[in-house]
Amino acid sequence: MNILKEASVPSLDAETYFSALQEPAFVLEFRRRALAHYTEQPLAKFEKSDLSRRNVHAFRAVPKTNGDSSSWRSVAESHMNAQDRHPLIVIADGSVVHVSGVDQLSAQGVIFCSLREAVNKHPNLVQKHLGTVVPSDENNLIALQSALWRDGVFLYAPKNVQLVQPVQLLVVTTHGGYGTFARNLIVADTGSQVSFLDSYVAPSTLEDELQVGVTEVIVGDGAKVKIGTVQDFPRKATNVLVRRAKVLRSGQMNWVVGEVGDGYTVAEFGSLLEGEGSVSTSHAIALGAGRAHMDLTSRMVHIGRFSESDTMARGVMQGKANAVYRGLTHILKGASGANGQQSEKLLMLSGDSRADAIPMLLIDENDVKCGHAASVGQINEDQLFYLMSRGISEASAKRLIVWGFVDPVLAELPLDIVRKAMENVLERKMA
Amino acid sequence: MANIPELKISGLHAKVEGKEILRGVNLTVRGGEVHAIMGPNGTGKSTLASSLMGHPKYDVTAGSATIDGEDLLVMGVDERARKGLFLAMQYPSEVSGVSNANFMRMALNAKLGEGNEVPVLKFHRELQGKMKALSMEPSFAERYLNEGFSGGEKKRNEILQMAVLRPRIAILDEIDSGLDIDALRIVADGVNSLRGSEFGLLIITHYQRLLQYIIPDRVHVMMQGRIVRSGGRELALELEERGYDWLKDELGIADETVSANA
Repeated sequence: MNILKEASVPSLDAETYFSALQEPAFVLEFRRRALAHYTEQPLAKFEKSDLSRRNVHAFRAVPKTNGDSSSWRSVAESHMNAQDRHPLIVIADGSVVHVSGVDQLSAQGVIFCSLREAVNKHPNLVQKHLGTVVPSDENNLIALQSALWRDGVFLYAPKNVQLVQPVQLLVVTTHGGYGTFARNLIVADTGSQVSFLDSYVAPSTLEDELQVGVTEVIVGDGAKVKIGTVQDFPRKATNVLVRRAKVLRSGQMNWVVGEVGDGYTVAEFGSLLEGEGSVSTSHAIALGAGRAHMDLTSRMVHIGRFSESDTMARGVMQGKANAVYRGLTHILKGASGANGQQSEKLLMLSGDSRADAIPMLLIDENDVKCGHAASVGQINEDQLFYLMSRGISEASAKRLIVWGFVDPVLAELPLDIVRKAMENVLERKMA
Repeated sequence: MANIPELKISGLHAKVEGKEILRGVNLTVRGGEVHAIMGPNGTGKSTLASSLMGHPKYDVTAGSATIDGEDLLVMGVDERARKGLFLAMQYPSEVSGVSNANFMRMALNAKLGEGNEVPVLKFHRELQGKMKALSMEPSFAERYLNEGFSGGEKKRNEILQMAVLRPRIAILDEIDSGLDIDALRIVADGVNSLRGSEFGLLIITHYQRLLQYIIPDRVHVMMQGRIVRSGGRELALELEERGYDWLKDELGIADETVSANA
């Protein structure tokens, strides 16, 4: 295994990539250290996902050079709207290909640019936070992505600045085999407020592709951050995704996650509630079709006193898709007065689909509140009968029930175009 | 026959989970008529309603049921509804995330068929009018279907759906249970406003109370999975006054429920 791995990333190849990047020393150092971790560590192990059966070598050290713009545009189309004036950055095959609406941000001192641009323009801010929420040595794939990350965005809101409109990132991969390693760093300073939406899309014809995505968020004292993230890579993709926030005193982090790809996905999202009175919610939709494998974990770690979390997930599995949804609420010693709630509901639409909900409450403190509700099942026969008894066809009735089932999460998505895109995905997959 | 609806049930037998509940029901309901089926608990009244509507749990084993001469039993649940059959349920389901109004518009459009859909504005105007008649708050239109509705609100919502869909034959399954006297009156008014020669009604109830507000033409008593006695309105009054025991004695029935000789 190790031999294979080294063969696929010869260190020289990585160095060629690194030197072409012309990044400040601290970034280079960050990448090299991570590369060393990758070479030293065994393949990342997950309880319910066996990555050794997937092509985790579907990447190269050097990304694909950009082809013509039409190939990414056709994939991105349904996720962007030329009429919208909100700030938008599109990254295709690892490079920025479109930037719009970001000028209006500078008046407020908000920074929204590609992370590669930020390491040169705002090195101090980036250096202070990069890798502080998701350690590079967490597993070998995170190490790999920390070494080879292509691009992603840096979003920074200064003290007390409240950005009303959401900012959007669209990551498009047009060709498999190069590796999709998008990395985002979001920093909301004291009392600030931002919404960020990121979508990851690829054509259904995509060949074997390894996607490792990392989003790190720092929510400052009293700051509020909302992130809506949608992943829709097709069946040959292997996706390992970590989206994690560190929430400081009285900060608030709201996650909305849509995992709708048909590939093999291991995804974790959630918050480290470090500050006293910090709060985090997460709303997640998992929609699996074909032979999709989804190993999803919402992870809320309560460290600060009186920290609160609320997690809600809805999963719909069709075809031969299978899903494991783990709701992890971890209350550490010292987090007195913490309150962690979670609810998971998974719906199986076909006899061949599988779904498991695993609520996990790890509690090391006495004075806390915790609750969970989990259910896994098929469409309720009485509901279906009721709708059909009013003349609605079975197919439409099922669609109504599924829409109703996911609606509480869909309604949380903060940007119309993203909600529409999600709705289109749902519509397509339930056809 | 023309435009007069007709529901015809002959020798209907049905099973639930392998157990025979209906044992030969004969009944015909025509437009302009109101029939009431009464009887103690466990005699098969609700099974009759659900079997006619086609609930998958109920398995019709013998007999026939037609609507306007067409075989009801070969139709899917949705098709029965589109042919004009309606069942106001005893326990309406809650469907989260689906608004009451959208659901009803969808149901109405399914009935009207493609190309004949009702204009959205017209639909909402008429819906609000009908809701007002049933003393329902306008906000009920946007609330999720039956979710968090009280028992009485659910029953009113059933009648509202009936008023929107205008069925040819409607079955009301214990629509009166859980209603206070004011709500009962409102519901009865709603039902009565639909009465006419193109509307036949079958009411299933335990109590004579509802029949003071919706006056039946015929009253039937169900025991042991079939109709054992039919009469005019006076039969309901007699049952209210004397209970069921005299009838059981007359018919030589010891246990009126279907479990008796299962």
